[in-house]
Amino acid sequence: MTTTVDRRAAMPPFWLALAAGLPIGACMIVMALPVLGHGHATAYRLLYLALFALWAVPLTALQRALWRSRTSWWIASLALLATTYTMSVANNALGDAMAWLAGWPSTRPFAWTDLFAGIDSCWLALIAFCAIHAVVAYYAAFNHAEAQRATALALARDAELRALRYQLQPHFLFNTLNAISSLVAAERNRDAQQTIARLGEFLRATLEANDDHEAALAEELALTETYLAIEKARLGDKLKLKWDVGPHVLRALVPHLLLQPLVENAIRHGIAQRSVPGRLDIRIARDGERLAVSVGNDGAAPGSTSAQAAERSSAIGLRNTAERLEKLYPGDHAFVANARADGGFDVRVDLPYREAPMPAAGA
Amino acid sequence: MMRIAIVDDEPLARSGVATRLAAYADVDIVGEYGDGASALAGIRALAPDVVFVDVQMPDMSGIDVLAALAPHERPMAILLTAHDQFAVRAFEFNAIDYLLKPVDDDRFAEALDRARTALPYRRREANAPIDAPDPPKTWQTRFEVRVGRRVAFVDAHDVTWIEADGDYAALHGDEHTYLLRESLARLALVLDPSKFVRVHRSTIVRVDCVADLQPLSNRDALLRLKDGTPVRASRTYIESLLCALRSVGGV
Repeated sequence: MTTTVDRRAAMPPFWLALAAGLPIGACMIVMALPVLGHGHATAYRLLYLALFALWAVPLTALQRALWRSRTSWWIASLALLATTYTMSVANNALGDAMAWLAGWPSTRPFAWTDLFAGIDSCWLALIAFCAIHAVVAYYAAFNHAEAQRATALALARDAELRALRYQLQPHFLFNTLNAISSLVAAERNRDAQQTIARLGEFLRATLEANDDHEAALAEELALTETYLAIEKARLGDKLKLKWDVGPHVLRALVPHLLLQPLVENAIRHGIAQRSVPGRLDIRIARDGERLAVSVGNDGAAPGSTSAQAAERSSAIGLRNTAERLEKLYPGDHAFVANARADGGFDVRVDLPYREAPMPAAGA
Repeated sequence: MMRIAIVDDEPLARSGVATRLAAYADVDIVGEYGDGASALAGIRALAPDVVFVDVQMPDMSGIDVLAALAPHERPMAILLTAHDQFAVRAFEFNAIDYLLKPVDDDRFAEALDRARTALPYRRREANAPIDAPDPPKTWQTRFEVRVGRRVAFVDAHDVTWIEADGDYAALHGDEHTYLLRESLARLALVLDPSKFVRVHRSTIVRVDCVADLQPLSNRDALLRLKDGTPVRASRTYIESLLCALRSVGGV
């Protein structure tokens, strides 16, 4: 992606550029202190200070114009040197004019060379001003580009997460539609209606979810319950459920749709393949600043091997969850899927604990 | 009799509501309307107690219909919508509940319950005190369940929560779950309401087992029981649950 930096937007505000002149004005005052009281030095210094403040305005405008028109730095430098030189010559001329108007006796005879050579009055200060202004403008442009880069990165991450989220839908959707059609074929109208309503609820929560990639655990648990109600309709008594939700976790922020793929994986590859009832364990606990989530089943069909377990661990839902965790908490999470000695299969997730704000439409 | 009108631009959606209502003996459908303008005229003419109204309709939305009615003309409204964010505004206009499409039968029954409860307060002739059904003198404290071929008794204080399971109620205890052939609606009447509270059309919890209550963004709430089980509470029942929790000193 190529970004053309909008230089207008990248420029610091005009007042900030002018404020860059303040320290130089202060320097001019400090440097003037030793000569105050010597002849008319005070008047000269005040004149130069006032002129410096005056010149700063058109000088800032010029520098910004050069910056905006992308003039190369050495042409801009020459142009600014010439302009500031002209300004300081004008200062000298105005200083002489002031002396002449006030009728001050001149300490030395007027010489044209003095007018062009004696430029200590302001040139250095104006050059310093241009330099500081350039640094301020460069810094602002740098910050602007950095912010744009961060925005672009966030957008890309957002798009990837969204894609990962939608990837979860199809197989679950088709399986459920198939279950509904079976219920209709068996004339189990009430069960069919209930499953359709649950599916609607589930799709609403996933498809219409706001753009946040995280949700309060309570919302996730409610969604998982909805999902489990659909599974119970399909599996009936084969599904034994054991929840263990610890204290102080309901407001924890977790990735949207964290639990459902883990639970689905445990059901698909564990309980659904058995002929005897299977047990699903879902544990969630807070340990200080960490949140531990684990989903496990008590074993797949007899004869399962660790090779099958490895294959299972690459199931789409798990891979998807692992990728989303990596995007959301890079370097600050753990995701472990492994087969237990007793034939069961465990997925454990460890996340930083953060709290969700209270829902806006609180009950 | 509750007099009900149905407003939805889709005929199939209207018949879905009508078919569900047919299961209730105490309701009477007085009108069905396919657009906002005719609904407005019909509601003004017939003054139904309750109106099921679709939010998204061409020309005039369900909310527009309610807004166009004067406060004294507005029936209790139950909104039908595909998106819950539309429903929230409607509570300004006498809406008592909303149903998300596809409609859930339990939610439908809950919404109708709300209307039924509010009806006597709403009818002007009901200035007379509202007679509540007499509470039973004693509350049921134990259940007779079948375990295989033997009959067992389960004490109510050993039950943490009760879940509807088809024609049965599943009594969840610390260790075991027992099936009882009883409807949840009847159990809700015979159990001591200071100890057991209905939190969902299909769930009753023992009040002193509730450890946490967390509001959800859809106005429902999620409960966490002391044994670590999460249980959903629907918005219809949250008020009474909170009352019971406060009197028990929980949460």
